[in-house]
Amino acid sequence: MKALALSGQGLTWAVLAALVGLFGQGPSFTPYEPGQALIKLSMAHLPERLEPCRQLSEAEREALPPTRRVEEVCGRERAPTRFELRLDGELLVAETVEPAGLSSGGRSYYLEYLPVDPGRYTVTVRLADTPRTTGFDLEREMNLDLNAGESALIEIGDDGVSLGGVETEESS
Amino acid sequence: MSSAQARPRPVWPARALARGESVLSNAFGGAANPFHHLGALAIYCLYIALVTGIYLFVFYSTNLEGAWRSVEAITHEQWIIGGVMRSLHRYSSDAAVLLLALHMLRELVRLRHTGARWFSWLTGMPLIWIVLIFGISGYWMVWDQLAAWVATASARLLDWLPIFSDPMGSSFVSNKTVSGRLFTLIGFIHLVGLPIILVLGIWFHLLRVRYPRIHPTRKLMLGSLAGLLVLSLVVPVTSHAPADLEAVPGVLAIDWFYLAVFPLQSLSSPGTIWLAGTGGTLLLAALPWILPRRRQPVAEVHLPDCTGCGFCAEDCPYGAIDMVPRTDGRNFELEARVNASLCVSCGICTGSCPSSSPFRQRTPLTTGIEMPHFTMDDFRNELDRARDSELTGDRILVFGCDHGVDVEKAEIGTAHSMVLPCVGLLPPPGIDYALRNSGYAGVAVAGCADCDCHHRLGERWTQERIERERQPGLRKRVPRERLFTFWAKPGQEKDLSLRLEAFSAGLDKASAPEAPRLAIRRTGT
Ligand code: HEM
Ligand code: SF4
Ligand code: SF4
Repeated sequence: MKALALSGQGLTWAVLAALVGLFGQGPSFTPYEPGQALIKLSMAHLPERLEPCRQLSEAEREALPPTRRVEEVCGRERAPTRFELRLDGELLVAETVEPAGLSSGGRSYYLEYLPVDPGRYTVTVRLADTPRTTGFDLEREMNLDLNAGESALIEIGDDGVSLGGVETEESS
Repeated sequence: MSSAQARPRPVWPARALARGESVLSNAFGGAANPFHHLGALAIYCLYIALVTGIYLFVFYSTNLEGAWRSVEAITHEQWIIGGVMRSLHRYSSDAAVLLLALHMLRELVRLRHTGARWFSWLTGMPLIWIVLIFGISGYWMVWDQLAAWVATASARLLDWLPIFSDPMGSSFVSNKTVSGRLFTLIGFIHLVGLPIILVLGIWFHLLRVRYPRIHPTRKLMLGSLAGLLVLSLVVPVTSHAPADLEAVPGVLAIDWFYLAVFPLQSLSSPGTIWLAGTGGTLLLAALPWILPRRRQPVAEVHLPDCTGCGFCAEDCPYGAIDMVPRTDGRNFELEARVNASLCVSCGICTGSCPSSSPFRQRTPLTTGIEMPHFTMDDFRNELDRARDSELTGDRILVFGCDHGVDVEKAEIGTAHSMVLPCVGLLPPPGIDYALRNSGYAGVAVAGCADCDCHHRLGERWTQERIERERQPGLRKRVPRERLFTFWAKPGQEKDLSLRLEAFSAGLDKASAPEAPRLAIRRTGT
């Protein structure tokens, strides 16, 4: 009886250890299909103001209290950033991102991981950051050579688009 | 004889659980059954994680550049000790999650989440989140490929919330953007912030539990530590390759206890995870009110019988009794007062009160504190009815409780049974009275096993009162050979019957050939 009880105790701890061992370090998980490459599209871009800044007239300046007599006034609100990403002409991402901030006066942020097959691509990024509703204000074309397991970072900053931190020549 | 009211028996899931647990009680003994100590075992595992964590910290570099190397050195360059410490740190944290899940399920199945116990249930909820975040932050510290993926995925999860306008995820897009300060911050949270929050959280969780069992028995501590040690030696924990945010994450050995959320996020979306996480938490948190039990009666103080001794306040398992200044002008300093919102209706306080004695000459019988649905008057009336039936002389009386082994199902012809809300309600003079005045040949007390008492302390106090280690003690004149205790779970009725049979047979021998009633009288002093 004593031996049976002791083996019962041993078995209990063995089950605990087995459960912990089985799920504490596996079964493994592969976030992306093996052999894929990754394009990371990261945007932190300050779009144009909805209304351009305006010089105040002399009369308008006189009307302000002396300590707040500024030269020009600007609306805080900015335009949404509309952009698209094409690989060899095929549309992969098309988004419109509102500027951050309560009065929509900040940058437009976007971050996406796009798994792709390895290979050579022509990447086109087009972007509109003014109140226009058609067409784009900026277009960049870049050549990308991705091996399996590699990733490329396309960053859309305030001043333009960069690839993996390295500037490439703009095609238009 | 059985008690007047129809009583709530454990529902079928609780009975099924009890049947499963009795197997472990056979192996470990009732008092050391690991399922009776799940909360305490979880604390013990967290304690192992703390001790091993301090060891790891001594050799750890809290910066992006040095972290991975330092963990490698601990794992491979310290002969066996470093590797074992690291593996124990991981595995004890994993075991804590497993035990925590079982602890929660067990409380739920036994319906210990409702009524006055809602507080412990609700304060358990944040502990789940704290423990999980604790573990996830630990995975950053290794700064290997898994850590990089966990960091990226946690950032993605957090970015879904409208907290930061600048996405946290953009820190992890390349090896150049990654922020050493953020890494150090996470390290600080794991090493200092979360340990403090967890300790406070556990303290809060146990605020309404008197004398909580926060240490498992020695047998359990040694056994679980041995199990985890063997696992650490057989399957030591290793790192992945150093973090490279510019590579596509490959095959990752996931710790599913802590990191399951991230594969789920990969397969769904951060929004789904937040919805499931918060929705699930809210649903669980609302269970005490969704699945409530009938409002339980609350203990009532009867001032004319209360001397202000404080025994009941000392014994109440949920701290529901306060000793307050006397309000009735009698010459005592204090009186007992029940806080209705804390009372779980166990009646243990009746068993503590020196006024709870059926020998007292008054009708109806009153006492200092008792349950409206099971009064001392009910108690004595039942014993007196039994005496009047003249059937007691060759019988034993079995006191049982609502939650333990079902004494009414014990198949033995020579027993009467009385079911109490908790065996802790039984005042020691009640045993004396059943033998002397009702004339029973013997008395058996059958309640929940040690550390398994539905009301936590009923078994312990009863045992201590019988052994005269606790006030009010069972009088010396009560012949101990006529008293039998049996602690078991629902489902162990057969076992109970066998043991009662043996007890009963032993009594026959002891008392033959005289009538048992007379025999008892003679042994009395
Ligand atoms: C770090 C996590 C946790 C630890 C270390 C822990 C530990 C404990 C301990 C030591 C007790 C006292 C046991 C006793 O003395 O009888 C207890 C009671 C309790 N726990 Fe936890 N617990 C944790 C999480 C949870 C969770 C997540 C839940 C459920 C949501 C929960 C529900 C309860 C309940 C309802 C009780 C009260 C039982 C009673 O009223 O007698 N606990 N816990
Ligand atoms: S019935 Fe139980 S919980 Fe309520 S006051 Fe008495 S001992 Fe405390
Ligand atoms: S045990 Fe009885 S006498 Fe003592 S304080 Fe409580 S109710 Fe009063």
